[in-house]
Order: sequence, then C-alpha cells, then structure tokens
Amino acid sequence: MDVSKKFTTDQSRCRELAMSSSFCRRIYSEVEEVGWEHLLKLGEDLSFLSFRILDNKGRAYILEITLDKTYPRYPPSVSADVPCNFNLEWTSNSKLRDVVKQFHEHVYKLQDFWSTLDDIDRSLWVTDPKQSHHAMSYRQIKMGNDCSIILSVNSGDPRSLPECRFLGSDGKVNFLREIWKRNCKKWAKEKSFPENLARVFDTHLLEPPHGEKNEEQVECGICYAQYLPIDDELGAKSGSATDHTCENGNCNRAFHSVCLGDWLRSITTTRQSFDVLFGNCPYCSDPIALKISTKK
Amino acid sequence: MTSPSASSRKALSKIACNRLQKELVEWQVNPPAGFKHKVTDNLQRWIIEVTGAPGTLYAGETYQLQVDFPEHYPMEAPQVIFVPPAPPHPHIYSNGHICLDILYDSWSPAMTVSSICISLLSMLSSSPAKQRPADNDRYVKNCKNGRSPKETRWWFHDDKV
Repeated sequence: MDVSKKFTTDQSRCRELAMSSSFCRRIYSEVEEVGWEHLLKLGEDLSFLSFRILDNKGRAYILEITLDKTYPRYPPSVSADVPCNFNLEWTSNSKLRDVVKQFHEHVYKLQDFWSTLDDIDRSLWVTDPKQSHHAMSYRQIKMGNDCSIILSVNSGDPRSLPECRFLGSDGKVNFLREIWKRNCKKWAKEKSFPENLARVFDTHLLEPPHGEKNEEQVECGICYAQYLPIDDELGAKSGSATDHTCENGNCNRAFHSVCLGDWLRSITTTRQSFDVLFGNCPYCSDPIALKISTKK
Repeated sequence: MTSPSASSRKALSKIACNRLQKELVEWQVNPPAGFKHKVTDNLQRWIIEVTGAPGTLYAGETYQLQVDFPEHYPMEAPQVIFVPPAPPHPHIYSNGHICLDILYDSWSPAMTVSSICISLLSMLSSSPAKQRPADNDRYVKNCKNGRSPKETRWWFHDDKV
C-alpha cells in the first residue's frame, strides 16, 4: 500500500515539474518581451512578479501579477496602486506583454486625475493623506477656523464637482456647507481645481505650510528656542534640540527636557518618583511625566 | 523702592536673554492694545505705558508699569509693579504692588509679558471703584526698605475684580 501511494505522489510531482518547467520557459520569454529593466520582483517559483511602470510625467506605478498553474489558459490576477479596478481583457493568445500594455493604457486614461491631485497637493494645505498613494482619490484640506473638508475626486472625471464632506464644530461646518450648497453651481470644469474651490468658498484658501512653520513647532514652549545654548553648565544637553512633546494631541507642545525639568522642579505641585517627574504641561495642564537624568 | 530685589539683581541667563529677545520682537510685531513699550537698551527691565480702556473708570489715564526679569526667567515670574502714582484700585497698593495671582503662585512659562499686560488691563477695566485695598497703609509700611512684592505672601481671595 505504502509503495503504491509513494508511486502516485512521485508521478504527480514529476508531472508538476514538467509543467512547471514549460511554465518557467514561458514566463522567462514573456518577461523578456516586456523588458527585464521593468521587472522589480520575481517570486522563487515564478508564480509572482511585479513590474515598475513609468508614465510620461515620471510617476512610477507598481504592477503586481500573480500566476497560477492555469496560466495562460486563464488570466493572471493583477493588482496595482491605481484607483478603480483595471479590468484585464484576456484571450488565448494574450501574454504578459499585453497585461503591461493594457495597464499603460489604464494609467494614461488617469493622467488628468493625478495631475488634478498633484495640483491640489501643490497649492492647498493638505492634512491627509500625509503620504499619498496613486490609488487614493481623497484629500483632506485645512480650511481655517478649525475646520477641514474631505474632497473625493472622481477618477473618471477629475475636473467635475467633487464629493465634499465637512469636519469641524457644527456652527462653523454648517456655515461652510451652506456656502458650498449655494455656490457649487459655480464649479467650472475648464478652471483648475484649486481655483474652483476658491470660487465656491469665495475665500482665499490656505496654502501648504512652509518649512519655517514646521520649525516654529519645534521651538521649546519655555525658552522659545529650537536649540539650547552652547553652555558647559548644560553638559551633554548643550546645544540640543527639543526632545519632549506634550502627549495631549491638541497641545503637542515641544520642550527641551532641561527646560521642562527646571520648570517642574520649581513648582510645589510636582511629584517625583525615582527619576520621573510628574507634573502638568504649562500650556494645556494635562499630566506630563518626564524622565530626568540623575547625573548632571 | 523700585530698586530690583535680590532675586532679579543677577544678570539674565542665556536662556532668559534669548527668550526675552523673542518676546520683545513679538511685542513689536503685535503689541497688546493699550500698551506701549518704552524703548531702552535694558532687556532686563521693561517700562511699559498703559492707557485705561475707553468706557472704564481709568479711560484715557496713563500709568507706568515696571517689569523686572529674574536671572532664570521664565522659570520664575517677572516682578511687575506700577511706578507710583499707581492707579487707585482694590488690588493695587499705593506703592505700586499688584495683588494678581499670575504674578506669583499661578505664573507659568506659558505666559508672556504681553499676556500679563492683557490680564492687568482686564483687572483695571473690571474695577467697581477707584479705591485702595483695605490694608493699604499697613502693607505699604511693611514694605519699606524696597521689598519686592514677590516676597509678600499673597492671599488671593477675590476673583471678581
């Protein structure tokens, strides 16, 4: 019994190997047609591969292809970081080359969509996504007054009026929503997206923050400097940048642990347990815990 | 009597100097309404002119504030007094000392000269009567020989004015 069983498994393994070897030969020649320079990854058994595709603006896309034993009778499964599924057309003569060609065409159709998003990222204060992928079709934009809007850009028709959601306190949001309702017919496809937004909201929209703004945020809330002075008294901390941030998300104040420690030690409400000071943030009064170095 | 107290006689630390320079720049760009900083080259002592807000008991009157910064500002509050004659107010002594918690126990490095000024003006504006504190004479007598108000043990009992 054991012998016969072993025989059948060997047989199937042989068949598999034969199949996989012709499979291997086929994949090899098909990748060659696409061009090895586009190949990014190749699975050990060749069942997985990915290509790096550039568009004419130099944006790069990753096309991932999974092949099973039914290939090429059945189409491979394909995924890529693009919005809306790209539907592969497959015939008995299709090859990997055709997958890449069709993907190129799909990317080409979406050029206007990505140009629109690039335009938004360049000229408006986008708070989310921080790091965008090609497939993301929404942008959260800061509107001032503690309000934001989330715009979903239609990938098929990027210049059309986007879907808009409002974030912020009720009163302020209702105000924005009313303006949006009243003015959204002013949206004109021939104008740029940021221009249209400014027309609809009838205001100058916030520009992306500059590098300087970010630097301001890392200034210490106590000494107002980004770096401590160069001073022997400060020992190893001399000249160092802010290294402690209030954990309250609405506060996020940065401090030098030296400054914060000096302040916490100077008030009577601070408690110390071993080498940790427990006090309150001078700005938001939320509890703050600061580890202090015992050696000066 | 306006001579700096022992705590503020020492020169400003580097950190204090740097912070005050930034506060001064911010003040020049965005001064609090009703206040004028008298330009001097002394970073450690600011003389600030305050004008009573329109529609209040002190409308149009001007007074002078003297702000002295300690060596380790902003870990310690600045010493803030009115240069006599001080405005008659239930929390301001005739020697210029001011009974206001943020100048003493409730000071925090999150505050600035500018925010102190705004608090002082609001204190003046909400005054019900031009009147000295009940214990004015006793307090002023005890403060002879130029004691700093920061050495007073203040008792903050009235949060209405």
